[in-house]
Amino acid sequence: MIPGQVIEEPKRKFSIMRLFRENSRAQGLLLISPTNIYLFILIVLPLILVTILSFLSRGTYGQVEFKFNLSNYVRLFDPLYAKVLVFSLLVGFGTTVICILVGYPLAYFIARAPARQRSLLLFLILLPFWTNFIIRIFAWMIILRSGGLLDSLLQWLHITQAPLNLLYSPTAVMIGMVYEFLPFMVLPLYTSLEKIENSLLEAAADLGAPPWKAFLRVTLPLSIPGMIAGTILTFIPAMGMFVVPDILGGAKTILIGNVIRNQFLTARDWPFGAAASMVLMLMTMVLTLYYTRKAGFGEELLV
Amino acid sequence: MKSEFAVEFQDVVKLFPTPEGGQVNAVDHISIEINQGEFFSLLGPSGCGKTTSLRLMAGFEWPTSGDVLIDGEKMGRKPPYQRPVNTVFQNYALFQHMTVFQNVAFGLEMDKVPNDEITRRVNEALEMVKLPGMGRRKPKQLSGGQQQRIALARALVKRPEVLLLDEPLGALDLKLRKEMQLELKALQEQVGITFIYVTHDQEEALTMSNRIAVMSRGKALQIGSSIEIYERPNCKFVADFIGETNFLSGTVKAIEKERVVVALSTPEQEIKGIGIGELRIGQSVAVSIRPEKVHLADDDGSEVVSQGFPENQLKGRIIVTAYIGSDTRIVVELGPGVRMKVWEQNAISTLDPEAYYSVGDIVRIFIPYDNTLVLPEDTV
Repeated sequence: MIPGQVIEEPKRKFSIMRLFRENSRAQGLLLISPTNIYLFILIVLPLILVTILSFLSRGTYGQVEFKFNLSNYVRLFDPLYAKVLVFSLLVGFGTTVICILVGYPLAYFIARAPARQRSLLLFLILLPFWTNFIIRIFAWMIILRSGGLLDSLLQWLHITQAPLNLLYSPTAVMIGMVYEFLPFMVLPLYTSLEKIENSLLEAAADLGAPPWKAFLRVTLPLSIPGMIAGTILTFIPAMGMFVVPDILGGAKTILIGNVIRNQFLTARDWPFGAAASMVLMLMTMVLTLYYTRKAGFGEELLV
Repeated sequence: MKSEFAVEFQDVVKLFPTPEGGQVNAVDHISIEINQGEFFSLLGPSGCGKTTSLRLMAGFEWPTSGDVLIDGEKMGRKPPYQRPVNTVFQNYALFQHMTVFQNVAFGLEMDKVPNDEITRRVNEALEMVKLPGMGRRKPKQLSGGQQQRIALARALVKRPEVLLLDEPLGALDLKLRKEMQLELKALQEQVGITFIYVTHDQEEALTMSNRIAVMSRGKALQIGSSIEIYERPNCKFVADFIGETNFLSGTVKAIEKERVVVALSTPEQEIKGIGIGELRIGQSVAVSIRPEKVHLADDDGSEVVSQGFPENQLKGRIIVTAYIGSDTRIVVELGPGVRMKVWEQNAISTLDPEAYYSVGDIVRIFIPYDNTLVLPEDTV
């Protein structure tokens, strides 16, 4: 062979079968294509449509006019809507915090229960899902309304004298939200807590840590991944919730979710509804990303 | 003023409830005295109560009755975080969310040791276990052997009165385990702390310990030095569990001081040995003969002198030989169904096949009288 001679590959006919046989990248793409198709149809495509929609405008009779403008976004800065956005943020934040405060002891209790009781307790956590969500929220109306179950109980116990008038108040909305999202906080927390080996707590005690210090230094840090997962599962849907404020909040409590729903269904202003959806999504995304970065999401401790 | 004993068990009993509603005696009336600065092993098969005994010392369990004393002080129901002992756990139980440094510093922080002293002592401890400069890594980034050393450093940095080790080398491969055995032993001599070591590996216990407690079913059967428990086991279980041995069954025929004459059932002949424990004439006994403590000789056809003193004689046919280098492991059939393992040391280097025993050879086995132990049949 002459040094430096370029050996030409024999030209082969392009064959799709050969491509998949010899190229591992192509094989990988082929294998995940069902997922990709699914994601494209159910997530990417609707998202593109909503994005386009948010830049269009509403016609006189509620139809969509193909006139590009930014007025939908500008309208969101109107104090009326800005206030709703901020309030939604506070409700989402409050729901998450209360879910952590209530859910942590619950998850801890289940994780520390004898193995035979654990599955029963988890089953009880999931049991409410067997009933339709809206029916359960209506059930809360019966509990919370003036002279309802809660009032009767508190008065019978002589804790309160007059009705609390809880229904149709922001408090009722918070109660409903926490009730709805608690399982989504408890389950990931339980998963994290249950994985903590007892020998770690024994080691902490052995090294001189009384139980409360062992909790702060060992149990709590090791349950952070569950708390992050629970926060994501609680905060994101809580931000878009409209059923609970509709039923338990009356006309007084309006969240961004209600605004969006009303624009699509009642006001028939789809472009403005789409713009509000985009803003809600971006806000949630930015906050979640910031939070998970801060809290160390993606480390090896991830659930 | 230190007490004479680092740890003392006074008639300790620990009962655990079983799922069926019964109770199991994990520790059954154990009394042990462990000396200051001793390397003491709790040895036994799984479920013998050795780990429970260790947990009673650490304070993870409290005795149902009896007392555990550490450095002369009754522990009662003192929680683990108030006891002057530290534990190296079987699975290491390192805190994965902390760095190596933070792991080792944890115990000192609990004792509110000043920061600069913590840094100094942690670095010393890491140097002692030969892992200096590893402080900033996470435990998961280390090998099993290194994690084991971190667990050791974390426990030793607190300078406990007693260090408790629960099968700490169980997860390591054989070669590393052997290295760590010697290292642990050297470390124990260097720091002078009492080590209490739980293991099911008899070789490990024999190699490292000053004294060993052989345990079975919640009882401490024998407590003694490596030599004592191997050469003079006090019951059939210990003789069987420590090393290898042959048992020949028979009944006591005569007792002459500590020398006991036993009538064997197969082969039908007499054998003399050292009597262990209380024996009486007519009692069923097991005669324990270690495979390396006998001599083989070609059969010369003469009568077997069964009352031989100082040596007993047995006769049989070789049915298995296995050359393993340092010695040849031979199985001799003494009679129908009665076999005896014999390890013949290969003291001479030769290629001549005639120099080695082979299957089918009729041989005579000589057993010195004091290599023959007469043990009562276990009642349990």
